Order: sequence, then structure tokens, then C-alpha cells
Amino acid sequence: MPDPNDNEEIFLPDFCNVRTVFAVVVLAQLLSFVLALGPHVIVGERWFQLSLISLFIQWVALSNCAVLCLLRSFLQRFNSLIIAVVCVFTVVGLTLVISEASFVISRGFALESLLPTSWHLEFLLRNMAISMIIAIVALRYFFVQNQLQQSIEARAQARIQALQARIRPHFLFNSLNTIASLTRTQPAIAEEIIMDLADLFRVSLQTDDNEVSLIDELQLCRRYLHIEKTRLGERLQVVWSIDENLELVKMPSLSLQPLLENAIYHGIEPRIEGGIIQISSQIEPEKIHLSVSNPVPSTRAGSSHLSHQIALQNIRDRFAALYGEHGGLEINQNKHEFTATLTIPIRLQKP
Amino acid sequence: MKVLIVDDEGPARQRLQFLLDEIAEVSEGAGIDVVGQAANGREALHYCHDMAPDVVLLDIRMPDMDGIEVAMHLLAQNNLDQAPAVIFTTAFGEHALAAFDAQAVDYLLKPIRKERLQTALERVTHLNRAQIVALQQNVGSTAARSHLCIRLGDRMELVAINNIVYFEADQKYVTVWHDGGESLIDETLKTLEQEFSEQFIRIHRNALVARQYLVGLDKTKEGGFSAVIEGLAEPLEISRRNVAAVKKYLKQVGRIS
Repeated sequence: MPDPNDNEEIFLPDFCNVRTVFAVVVLAQLLSFVLALGPHVIVGERWFQLSLISLFIQWVALSNCAVLCLLRSFLQRFNSLIIAVVCVFTVVGLTLVISEASFVISRGFALESLLPTSWHLEFLLRNMAISMIIAIVALRYFFVQNQLQQSIEARAQARIQALQARIRPHFLFNSLNTIASLTRTQPAIAEEIIMDLADLFRVSLQTDDNEVSLIDELQLCRRYLHIEKTRLGERLQVVWSIDENLELVKMPSLSLQPLLENAIYHGIEPRIEGGIIQISSQIEPEKIHLSVSNPVPSTRAGSSHLSHQIALQNIRDRFAALYGEHGGLEINQNKHEFTATLTIPIRLQKP
Repeated sequence: MKVLIVDDEGPARQRLQFLLDEIAEVSEGAGIDVVGQAANGREALHYCHDMAPDVVLLDIRMPDMDGIEVAMHLLAQNNLDQAPAVIFTTAFGEHALAAFDAQAVDYLLKPIRKERLQTALERVTHLNRAQIVALQQNVGSTAARSHLCIRLGDRMELVAINNIVYFEADQKYVTVWHDGGESLIDETLKTLEQEFSEQFIRIHRNALVARQYLVGLDKTKEGGFSAVIEGLAEPLEISRRNVAAVKKYLKQVGRIS
């Protein structure tokens, strides 16, 4: 799971990094070319002007890199807007300081002709305006770039989570072990379990998020429970109280089955004596609630396993996408019982 | 070679039995003899006590007492050379498996291959305490034991930590008061306090009380406090230096205001 603070990663590039500094130097040089090519430059003096402009701009650019590098750890605790404002002020402020310094230095080298005193104020203001525009454009670029990067990472993360929620290695290997044992003693049951496993994996390997009929999902759940019942024996007891008269109800495939898997993993397996899993339905005029409840282990409250959280979150996300606020997953837990309830709106068949 | 099978799943035990029978048939010299099948940690420890197997095939993920804790008790009960060798079995433990490799502990992945089982039996190794402690930390099973193993001469008794009311230290031993009576153990109150700090609270230099049975406070004639313990007629004295911590805990769980 990504640390929540990771998402708040500062959107500025790292100005302490050599590659970033190099990029800044190249961009600063390009800007110098643009300015030197401007119409106000006297034709015969272009090279001379370019060298002065480059000197000045590189000076501004590199000192900005240095200051932003030092400010980075300080900026990390603020939100993007504050960071942007601080950056603009830094850039404009540094430009002002360096412009003023150039003015003073030009006096020292007796270069008044380049920067006549009458230009003083205009020189400062022009430089500040240029640096402000460039700072804003650059910040905008960094921000958009960062957003894009984050959304790519988030999408990749979501895919991985969806996969992890669907295929549980723990279940697969335990089932294979059960089959390996049964092939000798009860080949017929071993065969059944292979069929059950095949059905489960066929559905779980489907990539599109289909809605299936409630009856199909219940059938799949029965197959799953058959496998687990063979493995766990008397320790797993299942009580069904489902109204089977629900032909038309549709629900996302593999949304009830993970709840059963959690119930077994956290409620049955940790108990020597096992326990009862109860699956029940409750029908309202426009929606149906499906509940799965399991006993809570008395010794050492089972710590909520990561894959368990991912599975629940995955169901929540899918329900939110499909039904909005009309459907969802609700968890209730007391000292003795853990209940997960799915709410599914009953809709007419889609045309 | 006496072998004990420990797994909470029937089919898994059965399969190991088949494999061991086949290995025994082929290699008559090895003399593999399955002395029993245990379905959980408690049963495993009782079998080990009664049958003294040479090798235990131990499932890691089991209810109540996991395989690693069983290995720990086995080591605590016996001298190193008398403790049975342990081969862990597991279906899939995610990152846990790396811990086993790092500790050079033998483990078998289910479904188990016959050849793999055979080689594991041929070069069984004895675990040491440091390995088990390291495994426990890596596998993320709680470091605290779920049971105490108490030996009374030739008899062995397992007491669930949840059923212990309090520990009381005298000169030499620690007495465990539990729902089945009282027993002596050869551990110090200090190590018990460290291991079970979540479940127990120190109320006196010589007493450690289960938090779940600590229900309230009483004033003593001398002006001090004593602890009211569920199921105990007489309250236990709280020493002056522990009063604040006990009060804080009772307030926190809302048993006193």
C-alpha cells in the first residue's frame, strides 16, 4: 500500500539533482538566444549582447537552482499553492537582487554605456517581469507533469490491487494440496473439486467487470464453499438463508465470494473448533441486502490482513462505480460476530 | 525414525501419511514409523510428550497455536539434543518464505513432492532458539506465546494465556493461577511481563495480573489500594509504585471513573 504521504510528493523537480540543473542551464541558454534575437538588438552587436544576456541569465538560473534546492525540504510540508507562491517570490526576488548587482558591477567596470543610469528602474522591472512569467509557466508545467505521473502510478496500483484481490495464492495452493490427497482416496471428489476450481478461476481471470445474475454468483459461492468444506471438514459449517426467487437481480461477479473467503480465513481457520458461516438475504422494494457473517476468533483478535483490506476496498470501488450511493458494502463487528453486508439495487434489465 | 504429522487440515495429514508410507516401503532400512497425526498445536505437544518422535512435520498456519510456537515449546521442554527435529510445511506464506531461507530452516511447500520430503527427512536439522525467535519476528506471528507449557514430573499441561488470572512470584518460583487451579513454572516475572505486556499488568513487585480479570480497586485499611480480581475472593495488594499505572489502565477501559 502506498504511504498516504507519498501522494503529497512535492510537485517541483529536485533542483539539487545534477540532471535538473543541466536542464535548467540548457533552457536558460535557449532563453538567452531568444532575447538576443529580439528586434531591439543592434545587428552588429548580437554576439556581444548574447554573451552578456547569457551571463546574466545563467547567473539568475543557477542561483535559483541553488536556493530552490535549499528550500526543498522546507517547502515539503506546504500545499501546492503555497509552494508555487513561494517559488515565484524566490525567482522574482533573486532576479531583482542580481539585476541590481549587475547594475552596480557595470558601474565598477566603467560600462555605463551598456546600462545607462536612466535605464535603472526599467531594467529592474523588465527583468522581474520576464522572470515572473517564466517562473509561472515553468510551475504550471511541473504541476501538470506531476499530476500526469501520479495518475499513471495510481492506475497501475489499482490494477495490481484488483489482481491481488482476485487470485489468492493461499487458497490456490491449499486447494491443490487437497486435490493431491483426494486423488488417492476419493478420486470422484477430487474430480469434482477440480471442476469447482476451474469454474472459479475461469470467472476470476475474466478481465472485464461484468454483472452476472445473482443466481450465478450464488452458484459460484457454492462451488467455492464445496472446496473449502472438503479441506476444513467439520470445522466449516454453512447456513444458507437466501431467497432464491431472485432471477432478475444482477450483481458484479465475484463480489459475494471474496466475503466468504475472508469469513473462512479470519473466522473459521483460526478456530480449532471452527464455526458457522451464515449467508442471508433481505429484500426491500428496490434493493437487496446480502450478508455474510462469521464468528470472531476469541484468542488474539485476528489482525486485519492486507489482502483482506484490499479485497474489501476492491468491492467498495466496484460498487461505487456501478451503483453510486444506491449500493455498497457495510461492515459490522462486535465481540462475537463479524458481518459484511452487500447492498445491491434491483434494476430492470438493461435494454 | 519416529515421525509425527501435524496439520489442521485432514486431507493434508492424509497425504503426508501416504507419502511417508511410500518412502518407508521403498527404503526399508530407514525405518520410518508414523507415530501419530495431530490436528492442532496442543495435540502436537501432547503427542510429542507421550511418543517422543524424532521428527515433527509441522504446519505453520494452524488455529490457536501456530507451528512456530509449537517449535518453541518443543525446544523449551527438552534439552537441545532431545528435542525432535522440525520440518515446517506451508502452502504459501508470501514474504514469510524468505524468512525461512534466511534462517536456513527446512520447509516444504504444499503440495509436497515425495522426493523433497525424502531429502528433508534424510538431513533433518535441529532448530535452535535464536532461529525460532527470528522466524517468529519475520513471519509476523505475535511474539507472545498463546499457551504456557507446564511440566509436573512426568505429566505435561498446557495452559492458555487467556485462562490465566495472575502470576505470583515467591522466592524461587512463579505460581500461575488459572481457571484449572495453580501451577509452578520456572520463569521469571520480569520475562513474563515483557512477553505478555499486552495481556498482563504489574500490580506489585511479586504479582502480574491479567488485564481482562482486573475489574476494580479497593481501599485498604492502611490507606493503600488493592486490586479486585474477577473470580477471586480476596483482593490483591497493589504496591505504591504501581497504583498510578493500574488506575490509568482501569480508567482507560472505563472500569473506574
